[in-house]
Amino acid sequence: MARKSISRKAKSARRGRRLARPHRARKPDAIGTLVAADAQALALPMDPSWHAGVTFNLQLLLKHAALIDQFSLTDDAEPAPVFRA
Amino acid sequence: MLETTAFDFAWKTAGEIAAAFAAGRISAPSIVDATFARIRARDPLINSFTAVTEERAHLRARTLDEARARGEPIAPLAGVPFAVKNLFDVAGLPTLAGSKINRDAPPAGRDATLIARLEAAGAILVGALNMGEYAYDFTGENLHDGPARNPHDLQRMAGGSSSGSAAAVAGGLVPLALGSDTNGSIRVPASLCGLFGLKPTYGRLSRAHTFPFAASFDHVGPLTRSARDLAIAYDAMQGYDPDDPVCADRTVEPVTPLLDRGIDGLRIAVAGGYFKCRTAESVYAIDRVAAALGVNRDIDIPEAERARSAAYIITASEGGSLHLGRLRTRARDFDPAVRDRLIAGAMLPASLVTKAQKFRRWYQREVLKLFAEVDAILAPATPCPAPLLGQQKFMLGDVEMPVRANLGIYTQPISFIGLPAVAVPVPLSPLPIGVQIITAPWREDVGLRIAHALESQGIVAAQRPPIREH
Repeated sequence: MARKSISRKAKSARRGRRLARPHRARKPDAIGTLVAADAQALALPMDPSWHAGVTFNLQLLLKHAALIDQFSLTDDAEPAPVFRA
Repeated sequence: MLETTAFDFAWKTAGEIAAAFAAGRISAPSIVDATFARIRARDPLINSFTAVTEERAHLRARTLDEARARGEPIAPLAGVPFAVKNLFDVAGLPTLAGSKINRDAPPAGRDATLIARLEAAGAILVGALNMGEYAYDFTGENLHDGPARNPHDLQRMAGGSSSGSAAAVAGGLVPLALGSDTNGSIRVPASLCGLFGLKPTYGRLSRAHTFPFAASFDHVGPLTRSARDLAIAYDAMQGYDPDDPVCADRTVEPVTPLLDRGIDGLRIAVAGGYFKCRTAESVYAIDRVAAALGVNRDIDIPEAERARSAAYIITASEGGSLHLGRLRTRARDFDPAVRDRLIAGAMLPASLVTKAQKFRRWYQREVLKLFAEVDAILAPATPCPAPLLGQQKFMLGDVEMPVRANLGIYTQPISFIGLPAVAVPVPLSPLPIGVQIITAPWREDVGLRIAHALESQGIVAAQRPPIREH
């Protein structure tokens, strides 16, 4: 059975196009340098053999984060978890 | 009274076992004996249990029989054996959470709230179950305990992180298990093992005395072989718990009495866009369920891909923060695949995580608007049936993806904002696959009614896998 769309797809797609701006390219070793510095700053022991795996995962996380970074939010946007006194 | 051999425990539902016990047709000790005999025979193949609680179960069984003999009221789960993912505290056992590190922790001093509630409803705890390390996993593979194996094909993944919970129920060892679901860890293994699974609304069921993962996503819930069993267990576990700061102070809203109301009047749509199926199995499953429900429209969940990304990074950050101390002192005792992801999560800039949390609120507001138009949304639970153990990549359409991170691509945008979802199993040969029934917050009743209606029509069902015993 063909299903009829009642989607907000068009609106979403327009937003995506409006927000998709090219990101400044990082130097290839930038994340690796960040991993080494962060490990030191956070007092995390890093066996040299772990470096590639951590770097890969941080690159992946930053790729996901870039998708969020491209999304336009107003200055008064509240984070989801709200503290209540 | 029936001999246990005449009562096929292995594939009876929790409701059927409770009814047989209540009617005096079987004794609780005979149920417990048969359960442990089955665990001994089958679990060497499935590897779902990490601990059994035989002495406790036998004691509990005798108490239940004595209470029945005295004519006391019989609780809804009386005599039903169950087991829990090993991140639930079980008095006297260390709470492993799938790790090597927690083996050094002292035994838990008390049971998790949900164990106490199931026992108050007459159920009998028989053990703790295998899981992915610290719940950061969709595969069910575990470096320390070995993988829980999929009972439909022992060479395949059970799915994670509630791998043992799914494998034990699908393998006929217990009719009911508890799991946790941060990004899909109930719904993914339910899909791969062909079971019913309920991830309730965030804050509905108490997580007190369970080992956390990503606090703002952590949920707990049941896996079973029938929709009615989900409802019975869910009803027994509902209720406010001051020991879990997230647990909502809501009146208990029993669902079991509503199951037979059917689906007349419910507005249901299929999730399009990001959720559009790209494997033959998931297309078949969604089409079969949608056709049975008479669904004739699609609906777009806006920005679902971005929601998945936001869930991905907030999870990594919360997980990295949770384990920071252990990463400093015991990093070598983690599964390297888990360790590397947690370290990376700990290194994420807070500015990006905060932005993801702001996006989360925006997304929640937009998605909740959809429930003015529909009562339930159908979406695939996993992109594919169970991959092979050790498999690193799978194809989604023409895109090759890593298995470990992507089995939850359809579950993450849902748990991200705490929506309730029931995973229902669509029987397929050789392997089943699941569909999510997603509803508005606090409307687990709608999802469970739809699941029950589909099961009554024979559209969804937990198929019995052929298992040779030792």
